[in-house]
Amino acid sequence: MLGKLIKHETNATGRLFLPMYFIILVLSLLNRILTSIDIYSDTLNIVLGFSIAAYVISIIATIVVTFVIMIIRFYKNLMSDEGYLMFTLPVKSSQLINSKLIVSLLWNIVSVLVVMVSLLIFFGSSESMRFVNEIIDKTITMLKLNFGSKYILIIVEFMIMILISMFQQILLIYVSIAIGHLFNGHKVLGSFLSYIGINVIAQIIVTLILVVWASLAGTSFAELEAIPQLVFPFSIAIATIFCGVFYFVTNYIFKRKLNLE
Amino acid sequence: MSVILDCRSLSKKFGSITALSDVNLSLERGRIIGLLGPNGSGKTTLIKIINGLLVPDQGDIHIAGMEPGIESKKIISFLPERTYLPDWMKVSDAISFFKDFYEDFEEARAYDMLQRLNLDPNKRLKTLSKGTKEKVQLILVMSRRADLYCLDEPIGGVDPAARDYILNTIITNYDEKATVIISTHLIADIESVLDEVIFIKDGRLVLHAPVDDIREKEGKSIDSLFREVFKC
Repeated sequence: MLGKLIKHETNATGRLFLPMYFIILVLSLLNRILTSIDIYSDTLNIVLGFSIAAYVISIIATIVVTFVIMIIRFYKNLMSDEGYLMFTLPVKSSQLINSKLIVSLLWNIVSVLVVMVSLLIFFGSSESMRFVNEIIDKTITMLKLNFGSKYILIIVEFMIMILISMFQQILLIYVSIAIGHLFNGHKVLGSFLSYIGINVIAQIIVTLILVVWASLAGTSFAELEAIPQLVFPFSIAIATIFCGVFYFVTNYIFKRKLNLE
Repeated sequence: MSVILDCRSLSKKFGSITALSDVNLSLERGRIIGLLGPNGSGKTTLIKIINGLLVPDQGDIHIAGMEPGIESKKIISFLPERTYLPDWMKVSDAISFFKDFYEDFEEARAYDMLQRLNLDPNKRLKTLSKGTKEKVQLILVMSRRADLYCLDEPIGGVDPAARDYILNTIITNYDEKATVIISTHLIADIESVLDEVIFIKDGRLVLHAPVDDIREKEGKSIDSLFREVFKC
C-alpha cells in the first residue's frame, strides 16, 4: 500500500513540480543565448537585465516554491476535506506520513539538482568548470591537511547531516500542522505558532546540551579532531532524535486525536 | 442474522459539548437504515467514529467484530457530507484511485453508472457543479462491494430527479449481506426505501425500530413521527 500511496503522491505533486523545472531550465537556456550574443546597444541592455533578473528570481522561486508546495500539499491532502478520503483508505496513518515524507524528500533533492543543472546551463564553460574543480580540489586538500585520513569520514558525516536535517525540516512542518489541527477554529495560526514554538524549544535544548557538554569536556571540545569524532556524530544523533519525536507526535495525533472539520 | 455494527455505551465530547452520549446500537446485515435527526444531533459524529475518523472518549465499537482500523476500512464504503475528491483529478483519475486502494471496487460498474447519468469520465472534477460532484462520489462509493455503506447526506445537494436515480442506485447496488446507513433530514424522500430507522437527538439514541413496526403501532409515517419527536 505504501507503494501505491507514493505513486499517487508523486502524480499529485509532479503535475506542479515538472512544469516549474521545465520553466527554470528554459529560462536558463534563454539567458545563456541572450548573454552570449553581443548585439546590445544601450537600450537593449535593459532587455538583458530583465532576463537575468527573471532568471535569478526563478532560481530563488524554485527553492521557495518547493518548500511551499510541500506545506500546502500536506495540509490540503490530510487536514482539509481531502482528509476524509485519505484517512478512510485502508492504510495506516504512518504510511500516509511515510509516503508524503519520501516524496517531499525526493522533490527537495530534485529541486536542488535542477538548480545546479540550470546554473551549469547558464554559466557552463571549460573555464568555469576548471574554476569549480579548483574549489573542490582546494577543499579536499584542506580537509586532508586538517584531518588526515579521516577526511572521508567528514564528508560522509556531512552528507548524512544534510539528509537528516532535510528530514527534520519536513517533519517539523508536519508536526506543526498536526498540532495546529488541534486548535479549534485557528488551525493555520496554531500551525504557525507551533512551528515557531518547537523551533525555539529545540534551539534551547541544543544550546543547553552544548553548554553542559562543553563545560564537562573542557578544552578537548575545541580541538579540530573533535569535529569528526564528536561534533558531527552528536549533531546527527540530536537531529535523529528530533525527527523521531516529530514523527511520533504527528502519527499519534493522526491516530488518536484526528478531528477533521 | 449476523451483526455488522455494534456500539456499546459510546460517548464523545468536544470540549464542553456532548456530541454523543451513551449510545448503544446493534445493526444487522441486509438492512437499509435511516439515521435521522436534526442538525447537530450527533449523526455525523457517529458516522465519523464508525469510519475511524474520530476516536470515542468512552465505549466500544465493532464493525463485523473488528475495531475501527485498516481491516474495518476495507469493508466500509463511506460517503462524507462534503466533496472530498482532489479537484484537479479527472473523473477517470478518481476511478483509478479507488481501484488502486479498494480491492472490492468494480471499475466496470462505475463506468456503467457514469454513462447512465451522462457524465463524461474525462472531465476534471474542478469543472463540475457541486451536485454533479456528489453524483460522482456516490457512484464511486456504490461501486464497491462493501459490507457496510455509510452515506452521510447523500441526496442533500442534488435535484429531485437525480434523487430518485440515486436512491434507486443505492437499493439496487448492495448485496444481501450488506447494510446501508443513510444519514439525512430529508426523510420524506427516502422513507420508502428504509427497513429501519434510528432517531438521534442531542447525542442520545431516541428510537431504533423497523419502519413497519412504527407504521403499525403509531399509525403514522416516519416523516410525521419525526416532526413530532423533534418538535421545536
